[in-house]
This record gives sequence, structure tokens and C-alpha cells, in this order.
Amino acid sequence: MTLLSVKNLRVTFDTESGPVQAVRGVSFSLGRERLGIVGESGSGKTMTGRSVLRLIRPPGRIDAEEMVFDGIDLTRASERQMRALRGQRMAMVMQDPKYSLNPVMKVGAQLTEGLRLRHRVGRTEARAKAIAALEAVQIRDPDRVLESYPHELSGGMGQRVMIAMMLIPNPDLLIADEPTSALDVTVQAEVLSILDALVRDRGMGLIFISHDLRLVARFCDRVLVMYKGRVVEELEARNLMQAQHPYTQGLLNCLPRIGGDRSPLPGLDRHAAWAE
Amino acid sequence: MLIEIENLSVTYHVGGRDVRAVEDVSLTVAARESYGLVGESGSGKSTILRAICGLAPISAGSIRIDGAPVQTPRGKAFAKRVQMVFQDPYGSLHPRHTIDRTLAEPLAIHGIGNTDARVVQALDDVGLPPSFRFRYPHQLSGGQRQRVAIARALMLEPEILLLDEPTSALDASVQAETLNLLNRLRAERGLTFMMVSHDLAVIDHMCDRVLVMQHGRAVEELLHEDLARAGMKTDYARTLFEASADRMLNG
Ligand SMILES: Nc1ncnc2c1ncn2[C@@H]1O[C@H](COP(=O)(O)OP(=O)(O)OP(=O)(O)O)[C@@H](O)[C@H]1O
Ligand SMILES: Nc1ncnc2c1ncn2[C@@H]1O[C@H](COP(=O)(O)OP(=O)(O)OP(=O)(O)O)[C@@H](O)[C@H]1O
Ligand SMILES: [Mg+2]
Ligand SMILES: [Mg+2]
Repeated sequence: MTLLSVKNLRVTFDTESGPVQAVRGVSFSLGRERLGIVGESGSGKTMTGRSVLRLIRPPGRIDAEEMVFDGIDLTRASERQMRALRGQRMAMVMQDPKYSLNPVMKVGAQLTEGLRLRHRVGRTEARAKAIAALEAVQIRDPDRVLESYPHELSGGMGQRVMIAMMLIPNPDLLIADEPTSALDVTVQAEVLSILDALVRDRGMGLIFISHDLRLVARFCDRVLVMYKGRVVEELEARNLMQAQHPYTQGLLNCLPRIGGDRSPLPGLDRHAAWAE
Repeated sequence: MLIEIENLSVTYHVGGRDVRAVEDVSLTVAARESYGLVGESGSGKSTILRAICGLAPISAGSIRIDGAPVQTPRGKAFAKRVQMVFQDPYGSLHPRHTIDRTLAEPLAIHGIGNTDARVVQALDDVGLPPSFRFRYPHQLSGGQRQRVAIARALMLEPEILLLDEPTSALDASVQAETLNLLNRLRAERGLTFMMVSHDLAVIDHMCDRVLVMQHGRAVEELLHEDLARAGMKTDYARTLFEASADRMLNG
């Protein structure tokens, strides 16, 4: 069943030195599954994710032939409808969590705000829910974290607070932009198993943006490989390590390995034709 | 030893409570060595690097560079010698300064000339086109911002680089270029690194020794040779290693 379908998405920034095309005709559909997006820095992964929530700030522009979420035409939805969807039925874990959290508001207030305003949950219950959400993402001392400001958290704690915050309203679609890049491997495994359970048991759709090819290969169902604003390859995640496209193969070749010989890592020879 | 940290403790005060971010950690780093820090999220890795730079409240212990205790405040001479690349590139770049200004500022403060050429060279070193000079941080992708942060740390040609997750926001190809650049600079200029990473493959590729941390404490120090051979002695270090099975050479 399709939860989200995107056809021919384009994102353009009008800059002083002319238009920059960050996304150039991306199409994909998402069911109740884990869809990975990989690709080099600047290839348009974040802008693709933000477009779905219509979170592109001017001078950026979104154009799409189709962008439908659970029967709702996102290209025509009013700003009011979008606000109701965001953070409720669709949520996004931002790549720079500390920057996306409110710097002058305690974590506890940020975590419970939505529950208290939108769901009219009482103070004590909201706090209990927030603590449970923090414990689920392996925060050691949730009481202290609730009383902290974002700058008082470590990189990985900020990331986990952001994930907890996005999961509290039980969204149907979660776009997670590098959600575990600051986590050690054991905490990362716990966080992934939470996401996995939400997809499996609750039928959430997950878009998982990551640079970690090995992680995507073992965690996702399908993968889109992006290059310069386009999808150059779409494949089953378990086949990612045997990818056919020379760009994807090139990315895999650049990775260091434990026990490797420490000689300079291979670079990537980019071909103009990949961008066409 | 170039860097000597002895019985370092760092305690923050939050909402009337003490947060013991680092407890009684000692380590030394030789000149030209590359020293890694790994471990649990929230275990105090960034705090150790920040304490070296005078950005964390040291409650006990000492830090010496080249035999001399660090001065408080750290001052200009320290900045010339020691530079840090922060974990969170967004927070460390001034939002209303162009990339050009961000990179030129340290030169101006230290009275170093030839600014234009140095800025363009620094961008080129981290694989960014010269046209990016006049962009602002919000006009860059996450990985592009991280590369600007690395370029800025290199502007003053420091002798010691403190690198906090320098490549976790970078894709495989830019990570490879960045790690190659760092290794080349270390060899050519005799740099000394302290480097935090969650990716044991990156640590294995870059570091001579690595300290494993958990909950503010040093758990175990490993030599590079012992990492790939699984020569760790503590359960926690072994858990980290085993959870990294997907990045072993013959994995
Ligand atoms: N406001 C802007 N003005 C001009 N160009 C922009 C702006 N914002 C983003 N871009 C450009 O759009 C392109 C796509 O950016 P995006 O953030 O989607 O990349 P990404 O694939 O998420 O990269 P990363 O992995 O580094 O986060 C980049 O080349 C970036 O420089
Ligand atoms: N300014 C601050 N005020 C209060 N507590 C802080 C502050 N900075 C860090 N801490 C706390 O110190 C502890 C160690 O944080 P640190 O950033 O050193 O962890 P880390 O090992 O770098 O983790 P990560 O891998 O997640 O980045 C955490 O519990 C954090 O909340
Ligand atoms: Mg991005
Ligand atoms: Mg850190």
C-alpha cells in the first residue's frame, strides 16, 4: 500500500549567481517500509525530505508533478493543513538536531508542548510520557535531561531527544535525516530497533537518510542512491553492497575497514554522465 | 609527551544538580601521534576536547601542553598552536558571516596576510569550489558546512588538531578525501591529532592508540594493533567492537 508518492520533484534556489537546482526530477513511492536515501554530500537528500513537509524556505521553490500523502495532495494543501500534518501525521528528525531544537527552552517543555497543547494531556502525564520516550532512546538520566537546555546535551543526546520528540505523536510517516550519525554503535542499535518496531507493528513509513552505506544495507528495505539532485539507482537494500551503478560502487570503495592497510583511501572519479 | 591530561574531572551544574561529565581521566599523547576517543554517547568525549580548549569547567586534575600547564584564558598563542573542529558544525559557524569571512577572520586576528589566496586554497583542500566563499552557512548542505569547519581549523596551520566527529556528516567519498587530507597534513607538517569518532573503521584507519569511554570514565586504552585483533580486555570495549562487525576487512 502506498503511503507517499512523489513524482518529478524539483527544488530550485534562486541565488545572486543564478538558480541552483538542488533536486532535479526525483520520483519515488513509499509504503509502510524503510526506504533509505544515500548519496554524496550536497546531492539533495535533505532537500528531498524537507520538500515532502513543504519546509523549503524562500528563495527555494518546490515543483512536483505529484506529491500525495495518504490521499492528501501536498502540492495543493493549504499552509494550515500542512501545519496540522507536520509533527502529527508526518514528522522529520533534522540533520542538525541541536540547531532545530529551541535553544532557549528546556528540553522537557519542548517534549511535552505538543502533548499538552494538542492532546490536552495534563502536566504529570505529559512528563511521564516524555520520560518514557527518553528512556526508550537510552538516555541515562531523563530527569536531568528534561531540565536541560539543548546546549547542555552531548551531540548524540541531542539527536536522541529529537527522535523522542518526533515519535511522541505517533506519526504515520517519519523522515529521519542522519538520525544516528552521532550515536555509538550500541545505542544506535537500540534506536534502530525502535524505528524498526514502529514500521513493523504500527505500519509507519520511514525515509531514512544516511551516509552510512553499511548501516543502510542492513537496516532498510529499499534504497535510493542520489547524485547531483537525481536518483541514479534504486535497489533492494540487501543488494546495496553489490550495487551496479559505478557511482554507488565508487562510494563503497572509499570506505575504510577495520584491519585495512591504512594506505590512502581510494577517491571517486565523478563522471558528468551520471548527472544526466 | 606533547599533551598530558592527569586525573581530569569536569563537573557541570544543571538545575541545582551536578553532572559529572568526565571523572578522573588520564591520558598522554606524543608529538605526531594520532589518538582516538570512542565510546558511549554522552560519555564525555567532547568534554575532554573542550576542556583542553578551556571551554569546560575543570573541577580537578591538570592539562599540560609540551610540559607547561595550559593558561586560563587560553589566549592567542594557544589558538595558533591548538585548533578544534567541533562536533556540531552549525553551532560553530557564525550564521550571518559568509564563508569567506569565517575563514579570513583567524588570519586577520593573527596578522597573517595573503588572505585571498589562503582562503581559496583552504576551500580547495576540503573539496569545495571557490564560488562557495560568498555563501552563508544556511546555504550549504550538512557535509559542506562540516568541510568549512575543517578548513577554518586549518587556517592557522596549528600543530595540534582536536577533531570531534570530523567526518560523521560526510559521505564516503568526501570522508575518504578528508581523512586522506588529514593524514597527509599530519605526515607533512608533523601534526598531532586527538580525534573522536563512533566509526571504529575510521578510528582504525587514523589512530595509533584509542581510549574507550563510558559514563564519564576511561574504560580501556587500546593500541591500534589490538583493535583489529580484537585484543580488548573489557566487556564494554568488546561490545563496541562486536557491534561493528559490518566494517571489518573480512566482514
Ligand atoms: N539556501 C540555499 N541556497 C543555495 N543553495 C542551497 C541552499 N540550500 C541548499 N543548497 C544546495 O542544495 C544542494 C542540496 O542540499 P542538501 O542539503 O539537500 O544536500 P544533502 O544531500 O542533504 O547533503 P549532506 O549529505 O551534506 O547533508 C547543496 O548543493 C546545497 O549547497
Ligand atoms: N554545557 C553543559 N552543561 C551541562 N551539561 C553538559 C554540558 N555539556 C555537556 N554536558 C553533559 O556532559 C556529559 C558528557 O557530554 P559530552 O558532550 O562530552 O559527551 P560525548 O561523549 O561527546 O557524547 P556524544 O558521543 O553523544 O557526542 C553529558 O551528560 C552532557 O549532557
Ligand atoms: Mg543533508
Ligand atoms: Mg560529543
